[in-house]
Amino acid sequence: MDAFLTSRIISDILGGLTNGVIYGLVALSLVLVWRSTGILNFAQGAMPMIATYLGMVVFAHRFGYWPLVAIAIVAGFSVGGVTERVLVRHLYGKPEINPIVVMVGFLIVLEGVAAAIWSTSPRGIPNPFSPIDWQLGGKPIALSPFGVYEIVTALVVMISVAVLFRFTKLGLQLRASALAPEVSRLLGVRVSRMLTLGWVLSTGVGTICTVLVASNFFTGLTPQVMDGIFAFGFIAAAVGGLDSPVGAIVAGVSIGIVLQFVGDFVNSNAIIITALVILILSLMVRPNGLFTKNTARRV
Amino acid sequence: MIVVEELCVSYGAVQALREVSFRAETGMITAVLGANGAGKTTLLRTISGLKEPSKGNITLDDHSLARRKPENIARLGVGHVPEGRGVISEFTVEENLRLGAMMAKVNLSDALDEQYQRFPVLGERRKQHAAKLSGGERQMLAMARALIARPTVLLLDEPSLGLAPQVTAQLMHTIHELCASKSLTVILVEQNASTALRIADHAVILYLGRVVANDAASTIVADEDLRQHYLGKVE
Amino acid sequence: MKWIAVGRRPTITAGLIVVAVMITSLVASSVRDGVAVGVALALAIAGGATLTTAGLREAHPVLARATLTVVVLDVALFATYFFSSVTNFNLAIGAAMSITLLGLSFLTGASGQISLGNSAFMGVGALAVAIWANHHSSTPMVATLLLAVACGAFVGLLLGLPATRLRGPYLAGMTLAFAVAFSAIVNSFTSWTGGDAGLQLPTAVTPPGWLSSLFNAQTPLLRVNTMWLADITIIVTGVAFFFMANLFASRIGRAMRLVRDNDVAAELVGVSLSRARVIAFMVSSAYAALGGALWTLINNSVSPPTFSLALSITILSLVVIGGIGTISGALIGGVIYAYSTNVISWFTQHAGINSQGNLASQLPGIVFGGLLILTMLFAPMGIAGAVRRLWARRRD
Repeated sequence: MDAFLTSRIISDILGGLTNGVIYGLVALSLVLVWRSTGILNFAQGAMPMIATYLGMVVFAHRFGYWPLVAIAIVAGFSVGGVTERVLVRHLYGKPEINPIVVMVGFLIVLEGVAAAIWSTSPRGIPNPFSPIDWQLGGKPIALSPFGVYEIVTALVVMISVAVLFRFTKLGLQLRASALAPEVSRLLGVRVSRMLTLGWVLSTGVGTICTVLVASNFFTGLTPQVMDGIFAFGFIAAAVGGLDSPVGAIVAGVSIGIVLQFVGDFVNSNAIIITALVILILSLMVRPNGLFTKNTARRV
Repeated sequence: MIVVEELCVSYGAVQALREVSFRAETGMITAVLGANGAGKTTLLRTISGLKEPSKGNITLDDHSLARRKPENIARLGVGHVPEGRGVISEFTVEENLRLGAMMAKVNLSDALDEQYQRFPVLGERRKQHAAKLSGGERQMLAMARALIARPTVLLLDEPSLGLAPQVTAQLMHTIHELCASKSLTVILVEQNASTALRIADHAVILYLGRVVANDAASTIVADEDLRQHYLGKVE
Repeated sequence: MKWIAVGRRPTITAGLIVVAVMITSLVASSVRDGVAVGVALALAIAGGATLTTAGLREAHPVLARATLTVVVLDVALFATYFFSSVTNFNLAIGAAMSITLLGLSFLTGASGQISLGNSAFMGVGALAVAIWANHHSSTPMVATLLLAVACGAFVGLLLGLPATRLRGPYLAGMTLAFAVAFSAIVNSFTSWTGGDAGLQLPTAVTPPGWLSSLFNAQTPLLRVNTMWLADITIIVTGVAFFFMANLFASRIGRAMRLVRDNDVAAELVGVSLSRARVIAFMVSSAYAALGGALWTLINNSVSPPTFSLALSITILSLVVIGGIGTISGALIGGVIYAYSTNVISWFTQHAGINSQGNLASQLPGIVFGGLLILTMLFAPMGIAGAVRRLWARRRD
């Protein structure tokens, strides 16, 4: 195999990995909110977007990158919590179409408000990571310091969420509140607080993801910044199974890598078409996602 | 001690409980009996806070329970093992127990050991998913989960449901022993009156939401008419 | 809408109406007046006849619906004669959209499935007409429209088959992916589809000679053309709604509603779940394709970027706001679609908002999204449902 092809393949794997962890994070946040409250959050990209704008506005580049990130994450927690308390509360137990429609409406409103206040021109977020790809044998290999930053951050978030859910008291309560809310209340769990916390956490994860995307030199922050990524993240979550955090991450990363190859070796139109085909095929095999534990339907 | 006063509960237009009053003394087992639909489950759910009464009062020692949230009532020391046991199948045995121990200020590993000693089967299966347990084992898990938080009140809704006679006998024995050793206030709902009356100190019979008998268990057992009318055959 | 039953008497009346119109238009001196008078006469007779026979609707429901459809079409066609070309254009666009809305309304309301992909189905129909017309320009319009419907139904079948086992969020995801992928699919075959630039119709749709002669010689051609387009669209809309009303009431419709409400029970009764769901999907995509096809005729061209995910969301929103599962809801949605931009720009002007600024350009979106949230939270049955409830309460 000649060197050019090798570096091209390595490039695609690394580039796909970088994209894939982003899709995985989006998918993970969708799974978080689905597992804890049974709602599919169509505004999962838009809510963190607003939080990121708030972070940027508050700091306006004066205090540096990391304070901006911190403020954005805090804003993300708040946006998630407030949305749950004010809006989502009213959607529990309603027919499936209600939450989807309401969250789509929320998405439209958020993007409109953001564009009205801050316009649709992209804003750069200066950060300490260079977006210039490294070179291997004279050829760029689609991995830059910024890319490493994305991958490491995503891994840290994924591991933290996993640890939180499996090994902590809080994680136990979150899972119990979703699986058996009435019984949990009888055991002293403040279930309604856990529901809010589910949204707080998922928006927080979403905000970290959005900050990563918006910090990308070639993307910048716009009201629509998460639109395309949300679509791919949603596809990853559906392929992996909305109730499986592991599935979300695996599907996200795999899809990211596969699509990178498709984009490189075929053409850019084929990317979304391939994603659609992957989705249809995986749902035909397992209608509730590939990693789901939920195969039986309750009668 | 739990005091229920003039409790009225309705589901929309249907009155499930009408002016129900009785006391459940500490250290004693109070059985609540009656046919299906008499309101027994509703009574327990109202005491534990899952259902709000329209009228009346429930007091636990000095605290008023009516109109409090279930999670707060649980934190006051009321343990409710609901109809169907409420075991979380997707959790392991140990996770179910950990959940129960959440609100109690106990050392977790000590508390777990105590339950594993009382119910050795649970200790053997501690890492297994609760979905794999048999009916009797689930009942034990539900009880252990309620007990691990050191409750002062135990509300049991048809614990013998679906269990074989020997398992039921064992279960009743355990309940009796627990009540005595820990001075619990136990309210035991059973459709099978004879099972409950064997260990109960006091009994309340509900009929269409009303209290029709409220007396010592021995008195109720001796009263032929009462038994015929409201309890069917009692051995 | 209340369907009024008819018996033999109004059938004869309907025949008399047709005769009356023909005679009046032939005899009257100025043809324009003749048509107007004739139609007015027809309406009066039709209205009188149907009102006097109001009674049991069980007798001949199909005929009842047909008569009502004809009466309504009568009124609408009569009106287009007097409307300006702008109004006729908006009317046509809105009517075509209401066909699409009806399809989605049926899918969601009758069979309980969500679809975010209906803009793509509209695009399928729109492109089918444009591509066919560019290669076979002599095909009569009706045939081309039917072709578009068939294409829509076919693509609906392709997507509906995997969709049968999917639950809400997964179905939403799949249809969303389709909507997003549509433009990529279009761009993969630019030689056929013209890519983002789209296609033009080789010959514009023009009214037949006898219709143009009804107008004075000075009437601008645009006026006549748009009236003709509006008339075609209205007639097609009437036919589409007529079919839907019958489908909803038929055995198939009942089966679908059973599947929606209780699929376990449906299976026990012997209804094939997959078949009912796939048929519902195909119907909704066929209707969407018809709507898109009409748009191509009205605009005389097709522009694929129009059929985006944003349009799908708009379609879903209009169905919700108009009223899921109702026929009148689809009509309300169509009207809103046709006039919403006008209303919002009117508001922008009068509220003193800078019409060139950011807020003005985002206002339609914000209002729309807000309306969607409020409707779903407070009036989930939409405008049609709310009106129906008020009506029922009045009667009690």
